Amino acid sequence: MADVVILGAGISGHTAALHLRRKLGRGSEHTVTVVSPNSKWNWIPSNIWVGVGKMGKPDVVFPLEPVYRKKGIGFRQAKAVALWPEGDADDPRGAVDVEYTGQGRAGTTERIRYDYLVNATGPKLRFEATPGLGPDGHSLSVCTADHATEAARSLTETIERLRAGEEQTLVVGMGHGTCTCEGAAFEYVFNVDHELREAGVRDRARLVYLTNEERLGDFGVDGMTFEEQGFQTSSEMWTASLFRERGVEAILGAHVTKVEEGVVHYETLDGEFHALAFDFAMLLPPFGGVGLAAYDAEGGDITDRLFAPSGFMKVDADYTAKPYEEWRAQDWPETYQTPGYDNIFAVGIAFAPPHQISRPRTSANGTPIAPAPPRTGMPSGVMGKTAAMTIYDRIKHGAHAEAHRASMAHMGAACVASAGADLRTGSAAAMTMMPVVPDYARYPTGRDLAATRGEIGLSGHWVKLMLHHLFLHKAKARLGWQFIPE
Amino acid sequence: MTDKTPAAGGPVADLSTAPLPTEDTLRKRRSIPLQLARFAAYNARIMRMVIKGH
Ligand SMILES: Cc1cc2nc3c(=O)[nH]c(=O)nc-3n(C[C@H](O)[C@H](O)[C@H](O)COP(=O)(O)OP(=O)(O)OC[C@H]3O[C@@H](n4cnc5c(N)ncnc54)[C@H](O)[C@@H]3O)c2cc1C
Repeated sequence: MADVVILGAGISGHTAALHLRRKLGRGSEHTVTVVSPNSKWNWIPSNIWVGVGKMGKPDVVFPLEPVYRKKGIGFRQAKAVALWPEGDADDPRGAVDVEYTGQGRAGTTERIRYDYLVNATGPKLRFEATPGLGPDGHSLSVCTADHATEAARSLTETIERLRAGEEQTLVVGMGHGTCTCEGAAFEYVFNVDHELREAGVRDRARLVYLTNEERLGDFGVDGMTFEEQGFQTSSEMWTASLFRERGVEAILGAHVTKVEEGVVHYETLDGEFHALAFDFAMLLPPFGGVGLAAYDAEGGDITDRLFAPSGFMKVDADYTAKPYEEWRAQDWPETYQTPGYDNIFAVGIAFAPPHQISRPRTSANGTPIAPAPPRTGMPSGVMGKTAAMTIYDRIKHGAHAEAHRASMAHMGAACVASAGADLRTGSAAAMTMMPVVPDYARYPTGRDLAATRGEIGLSGHWVKLMLHHLFLHKAKARLGWQFIPE
Repeated sequence: MTDKTPAAGGPVADLSTAPLPTEDTLRKRRSIPLQLARFAAYNARIMRMVIKGH
């Protein structure tokens, strides 16, 4: 009998749990237990629509416990705090310390033993990295459904002031020089522009996209080359065209140093410092690992052995420090297995990337200003499934069964910025890229040109709506869920 | 050094040379039959990524 513990019930952890339970069979002796501090699942990409009031929180979340009960998956509403990968004085099996946040046991702790562990704890939203950033400071966020609900409320107030004839400055972007998730900020600025137009107040609003990207269209993936009508074009031109058409201003290569009431302060790559007054600001935080500790059997601290300084967990990546010119697709992990422990995996945002994808840059003052590498939804789901398949094989065929592989240098990603509630009047800017990590040994432009594209049009809006409903259906483990790809 | 005119907000990228869509392009982006074809193409591309990348 094997006990599998999965930390985190986001895109990667939930996918891993559902597939593992399906493969092992409901009535099997093996246990699958999910540990997550939140009682609800959130389809995070649709938080963008919550953030402009097009959807409510109930449209993007649902309770996890009934799904897990139906599927025979154990659920602890708790947060993991420490790992004991070599066991402790009482038991040589690996263990994880958790602290309950619900189920009537809030604040109590438990040590859960495991045979296999998946760390899918996603990001810590590090608002504290920038003074004044975030909902507890002076700016808004759309990272959680609650943050997005607050952003929508503030946007409505801003639109009311515009209706009353006032001029307003709205800033959307990245709240630190090392942020990731530029795609989400791009989606949000696209939606805000749409809302302002729908309300008939766009002419009185200044809309600014403030980003750590050195050029538009970088998206944390070093930009993309597209092929269109016999020419190679770039994601930079595509994004610049969209911004010019919609009257969105762009401030590039910016590291936000602090946010004060109505003013965002930032440094640019040339080393200059600036301030921008705003009436509405949605600025994403940088991400870090959730801060798990690790101990050996004697209680010695081995956190450094399992985790990078960023708090993300080390896996089978090549972490050798090397210059941008020497980065290779092979640096990226394939099995997500933690070095030294072939029963521990880290998937989704929780794994430590070997380096950025975008070229690293520092300002003239030495401040790092470069996007961190994104770990988007599709790769996160695939990694979760990959770890689940490896664990299944090892439970069934022995601990030496070959690990399944899925590198971000082979996987694609989709980013759809879609606005409007109506099937006929919505609009969208949709991108696909393949692979996420460019591989110049396989493709002259780093990526497969047949699969890497940017498109603008109504169809992207239908795609986004379709994905919203399909992924909620899948996450609820409803009929045929397993046939919906990650 | 902090810019003394916060409302201007510092350096804004010059997008004046970025291509603007023509009327025909704008019409195509809204055309239901054409967008139905694009919808099918987009889904085919995602399925291709799924098959090749998973
Ligand atoms: C606003 C926004 C829009 C986005 N839009 C897109 C998009 O259009 N397309 C796309 O592909 N991607 C998009 N993304 C990215 C996508 O949401 C992430 O790739 C994905 O959520 C990562 O999955 P994950 O499982 O690694 O982390 P998450 O989904 O964040 O899940 C982490 C889980 O771990 C839990 N957890 C946290 N701490 C602990 C702990 N100590 N112990 C146990 N559990 C813990 C959390 O409660 C959560 O359940 C967007 C992201 C944002 C913020």
